[in-house]
Amino acid sequence: MNNRFGFKDFIQIVLLGAVLVLVWMSMLQRDREWVLQRDILDKLGAVEKKLASGMVAAAPAREGGSTRPAVRDESWARAGVPIEWQEPWGFASDPASQPGFSEGGEFTEIFEGQPPKITPNIASDVYGRRVIDRVCDSLGAYDPRTLRFRGVLAAAWQQDPAGMWIRVRLHEGLRFSDGEPLTAEDVRWTFDDYIFNPSMETERVRATLDQIEDVKVIDPLTVEFVFNKSLSFNLTYTLGNYVLPKHFYSKLQASQINSATGLLMGSGPFKLERLDPENQWAPGQDLVLVRNESYWGPRPPLERLRFKVVADSTSRLAAYQSNEGDMITPTSPQFVKKTKEPGWDGKNQSLRWVNMRSGYSFICWNQGKNAGRQTPFADKRVRQAMTLCLDRERMLKDIWEGVGVLSQGPVNPESPVFASEIKPWAFDPERGKALLAEAGWKDRNGDGILENEKGDVFEFEFIRPGSDEISERISTFIKDHYARVGIVMKVKPIDWAAMSDILKARSYDALTMAWAASAPESDPRQIFHSESIKEGGDNFAQWSSPAADKAIDGIRLTIDFEKRRQAWQEFQAIIHDEQPYTFIRVAPWARFVKKEIGNVQMHKSGLEPWEFFRAAPAAAAAPSAG
Amino acid sequence: MVNYIARRLLFMLPTVIGITFVVFLLLALSPGGIGAAASAAGGQQDASKAAILEAYLQDRYGLNDPVLVQYVRWLHRLSPVKFGTRDQITPAGERLQAPKEIPDPPLVTWGGFTLPQVPAEAVGPALKAAVEDERQREYRRISNDALSARSRYLGAKREFESALVEYARAADREDWLDAKGKIVIERVGDAPADRANTAWPAVEAAFGKMASTWSEAMAKRAVLAKAFAELPFPEAGLPVIPGTLWVGTPDLGTAFSKSRPVGDLITDALPVTLLLNLIAFPIIYLVAIPSGILASARAGSWFDKFSGATYVALWSVPTVWAGVLAVGYLASDEYLGWFPVSGLHDRAADAWTFLPGVQADGSWQIGWITDVLWHIVLPVACLVYGGFAVLSKQTRAAMLDNFNADYVRTAKAKGVARRDVVIHHVFRNSLLPLITMFVTVFPATLAGSVVIERIFSVPGMGSLILDAISQRDRELILANTFMIACVNLTALLLADILYAVADPRVSYE
Repeated sequence: MNNRFGFKDFIQIVLLGAVLVLVWMSMLQRDREWVLQRDILDKLGAVEKKLASGMVAAAPAREGGSTRPAVRDESWARAGVPIEWQEPWGFASDPASQPGFSEGGEFTEIFEGQPPKITPNIASDVYGRRVIDRVCDSLGAYDPRTLRFRGVLAAAWQQDPAGMWIRVRLHEGLRFSDGEPLTAEDVRWTFDDYIFNPSMETERVRATLDQIEDVKVIDPLTVEFVFNKSLSFNLTYTLGNYVLPKHFYSKLQASQINSATGLLMGSGPFKLERLDPENQWAPGQDLVLVRNESYWGPRPPLERLRFKVVADSTSRLAAYQSNEGDMITPTSPQFVKKTKEPGWDGKNQSLRWVNMRSGYSFICWNQGKNAGRQTPFADKRVRQAMTLCLDRERMLKDIWEGVGVLSQGPVNPESPVFASEIKPWAFDPERGKALLAEAGWKDRNGDGILENEKGDVFEFEFIRPGSDEISERISTFIKDHYARVGIVMKVKPIDWAAMSDILKARSYDALTMAWAASAPESDPRQIFHSESIKEGGDNFAQWSSPAADKAIDGIRLTIDFEKRRQAWQEFQAIIHDEQPYTFIRVAPWARFVKKEIGNVQMHKSGLEPWEFFRAAPAAAAAPSAG
Repeated sequence: MVNYIARRLLFMLPTVIGITFVVFLLLALSPGGIGAAASAAGGQQDASKAAILEAYLQDRYGLNDPVLVQYVRWLHRLSPVKFGTRDQITPAGERLQAPKEIPDPPLVTWGGFTLPQVPAEAVGPALKAAVEDERQREYRRISNDALSARSRYLGAKREFESALVEYARAADREDWLDAKGKIVIERVGDAPADRANTAWPAVEAAFGKMASTWSEAMAKRAVLAKAFAELPFPEAGLPVIPGTLWVGTPDLGTAFSKSRPVGDLITDALPVTLLLNLIAFPIIYLVAIPSGILASARAGSWFDKFSGATYVALWSVPTVWAGVLAVGYLASDEYLGWFPVSGLHDRAADAWTFLPGVQADGSWQIGWITDVLWHIVLPVACLVYGGFAVLSKQTRAAMLDNFNADYVRTAKAKGVARRDVVIHHVFRNSLLPLITMFVTVFPATLAGSVVIERIFSVPGMGSLILDAISQRDRELILANTFMIACVNLTALLLADILYAVADPRVSYE
C-alpha cells in the first residue's frame, strides 16, 4: 500500500553500507602497500648509492679500534698541557660472554608516562631522555661501573689547568646512523646553531651552558670549547651533551624542529625505525628503535627496542604479566608482593638498586619568615631535634615496605664523593626533647604541648604536595610522631601547580618533596648556597651558612678531583650538622624484567639496554629448569 | 524557521566568548595561575639563571601580560576576522607574525638615567637579495639577530630588577617586594631615588647594561619590522582594509606544556575518543531504548523488573573498579587473558592486512581491524554498562505516560494492532524526552573518559585535558573549552529543531 521503511529496507541499507566500507578499506590497504613499497625502493636506492660510492659502513670503525697505531697522533693538542687519552667506549658487561647469548629479537619497555616528544635538547621529560639516550651519543659519559667521566665520541681531551678551555679529539671513523661521518663541525653546529640558536626552544639546556664562550673547530676531528668562567662542572656539562647531525637538522627550519615530535637522529647504537619529517612518530603510538647497523662501536645484540606507555600501575603490571612488555617499573607494594609469590623468580628478574639517578626525599624546614612570622626552624637545635624525633627507619618500613635506604644528605650514595662515614641521625626522641628544651621549647603549662618563653605553642603548617596515597601516609606518620613530643603539625594538601608559587614566595613552614638526581656530582649551589635564597631561587629552606657557601664555592672551582672530594666531604659534614632538611630516603630503582632477557646488569649509572639480549627459547628454558 | 536558526546562531557567538572568558578567568584565579608549569624552570641552575630563563619564557608566551590582554590576544588569534598587519606563511606552514614591541626599560626618569640613542635605520631595503629563497634565508638571519638581542635585553632587564631588590633590602623597604620576592616597579618609583643607598652603584651599572641592550634590541627590531614589511613570505588570509583588517584561518596556538600546536594535539587524540564513543553510544541506544519500550509495554512483568534492576545495579558500579577488575581478571594472563591489556594495536599489527587473512610472513592473523576491535572491547564495555539505566528508565516513563492517554485507548478501540499502537502512536509521542537526552550525550562523544583512558592506556581527549589542567596550559584548555562549548550549543540548537520535527505542536514561527 505505502512505501514504509521496513525491516528489509534496513537490512539492505546496512549491507550496502558494509560493502562501501569494505571498498574504502581495500583502497586504504592498497595505499598502505604502496607506501611500504615506496619505502623499500627508497631504502634499496640508498643502499645502491652507498655501494656505488664504495663506502661500506661499520667496518672501518672497528678496524680502526683494533689496529690502533702504537704512537698516538698528538699534533692536534695544545703544547705543554697533558693529554687525557680515553679508553674506547664499549659494553660495560659483554653480552657475548653471558650464558644463553643470542642475537636478534625485540625488547619492550613499558613507561609510566608519555613523552610528549623525543627531539634532543627540546624534550625535557625523563622518558624522552631515556629514548634519546639510546639514539644519540655524547662526547663523554659516566662509566657505568666506576662513574668516572669518560670519553664516548671523544678519544682524548686536554683541560686548561686554569679551567678556561677544553680541547677534545674525536675518534676516527665515527658515523651517524645514516652513514654520514661525524666530525668536529657537527659538534660546533650542535652548540652554536642548535642549542644556542635563539629561535630554538632549547632554552632549558641553553641556560645551563651559558659559561661556554666559544666553540672552535681546530681540524675535522678536533674541537675546542672556550669558557668565560672556570668551573669544575665545565667538563661534564659540556661534553655530556648529545652531538647531533648537522646535515640532517640544518635542512629543517627551527620552527619545524620545535613543533616536531619524532625528529631524532644521532650516532648511537639504535636509530628510529621510521624517521620521516612528513610522517613522524606521535605520542600515543608505540615508539620503535631498530639497531643501527652502521654503529661505530660494538654491535648491540637486540634488533629492536620498543617503548610503550601504560599510565595506570595495575594495568602496567597486568600488561607486563601478559607479555605485552619485557620491563616495567613496579610500585613499592607491587615489588614486595610479587617477589614473595611462589614461582615469580622462575619467570622474572626483580631488580632493585641505588644508582646515580636515585633521588632523595626530605622534609624542608623554612628557616626564614612565613607571612611575616619567624618559624621556629631558624634554630639549628630545633632542626636537629625534628630529625631526632622522627623514626625514619620505621617510616621506610611502614610506608615504602622497606624499599629504599635512609638518606643522610644530598649526595647520592653511589657517588665517588659520597661521605660514607657520615651516618643518618638516629631516632632518639629523648635527645630531641632535650635539644628543644635547650632552644626554649618546653611544656610550660602541662597540656602536653611545647611552648616557648613568650607562651607561643610549637605549631607549624606542613605542606603536602599532590594527592596520592603515599604522600598522605607520610604526612600522617610525621604528624603522629611530632604529636608525641608535643609539637602540633597541621597538614595542608596542595596542588602541584600551586607548589612553585609557594616555594618562590617561601610561604610555608615545612614541606615534603624529593630531588631527582642525574649525575654523581651535581652542583649544590642551586639548592644550598645562600645566594640561591635570592630571586625565588631553589634554596627555599632559606638556609644560610657561610661555611657551607665556602665549601660549595670550593666544589665549584676546584678542578682537581682529590681536592674537590675534600670540599665535598666538608660540605656534607656541615649539612649533616645543620640539618637544613630532614633527609628521609634514597629511592632505589626497581625493575621487573623477563627472565629471557639476558645481561641485565644493575650498573651504578642505571641500566644499559644496548647490552641486553633476548635468549633463544631453548636456552631460556635451560636455566629455569636448572 | 530559518529566521529562528539564524537568530540562534547569532546568539552563539557571545555565548561562546562568555564561556571561554569565564573558564580563562577561573584558570587565572586558580592557585598557580596561568602557565605555572611553563614558568617553573627545570634542571640544575643558579637562581639568577633561573630568573632570566623564567623572564624569557614568560615573554615568549606572553604570560606576564595582564589577564585580559592574554585573553583578547587568544581571541584575536582564534577569530577569522583579524586586525593589524597580515601574518605571513612560510613554506613549512609556520605562521609569522609582525615583530613584537620591545617593552620599555623601567624607571628611567626616576633614576635620572639617560637612554642611549637608538641607532638610525639604514637607508634602503632590509632584504637585499633578489631571489625569494635568499630573501627568506636573509629574513631568518635578521629574525634570529632580533631574537637574541631581545633575549639579551630581557635578561639585562631582569638583572636590573634583581639589583633593585638589593636596593630595596638596603633601604629596608621589604614592602617594595611582592609575595615572590620580586620587585614591584611602581612601588619603587613612588619614592625618590636615593643615591646614598649602598646598592645604588649596582643599580646604576645594571641600568647601563639594560639601556645598551635595549638600544640594540630596538635597532634590531626596527630592521626586522622593515624586513617583515618587505614580505619575504606569502601573506596569509585576505585583506579587507589593507594594514588594519583582514580575514584569515583561525589559529588555536601552541600548547606550551607540550610545545606542540594545539590543533595537532587534538587531531591526535580526538579520533581515538571518537572511535570509542561512536561504538559505545549506539550500543547504549540500541539496547536501552528497545528494552525501555518492552518494559513499558509489559509494565510489571518479570522482564520489566529484571531489566530495571540489572541496569540500576550496573549503573551503580564505579567505572574505576570495573575497569581495574576487567584488566586484572579478563585481560591479565595471570587469570583469563582473553583480551589485550593496553593500547589499541598489537605490536605487529602495523604490518597486517586490514581483514583477517594470511599475512606476508605466511602466518594467519586476525587482521588490523579485528585487532583494533578486540582491543577496544573492554574499554567500550566499561563506557557502555553504566549508560543503560537512565535511558531505558526515561523511555519507559515517557511511554507509560502515553499509554494512559485517551488517543491510545481510541486507537485500541478502533482495533489497531498492538504493535502499531506501541511503535507508531506511543513511541513517536515519547520521543521528546529522548531528544533532550540526546543533547547531553552528543557533546560527551567528544570528551573522553579520564578513568577509562588511564586504565586501558588509550591516548584520548580525557588524558589530554587532564594534563592541560594540571599544567595550567592556557592554549590547550581554552581550545578544548571552545570546542566543547561550540558542540554543546550546536547540540542544543539541533535538539530544538528536532522538537519541531518530532512534534507538530512545536513551532518557531
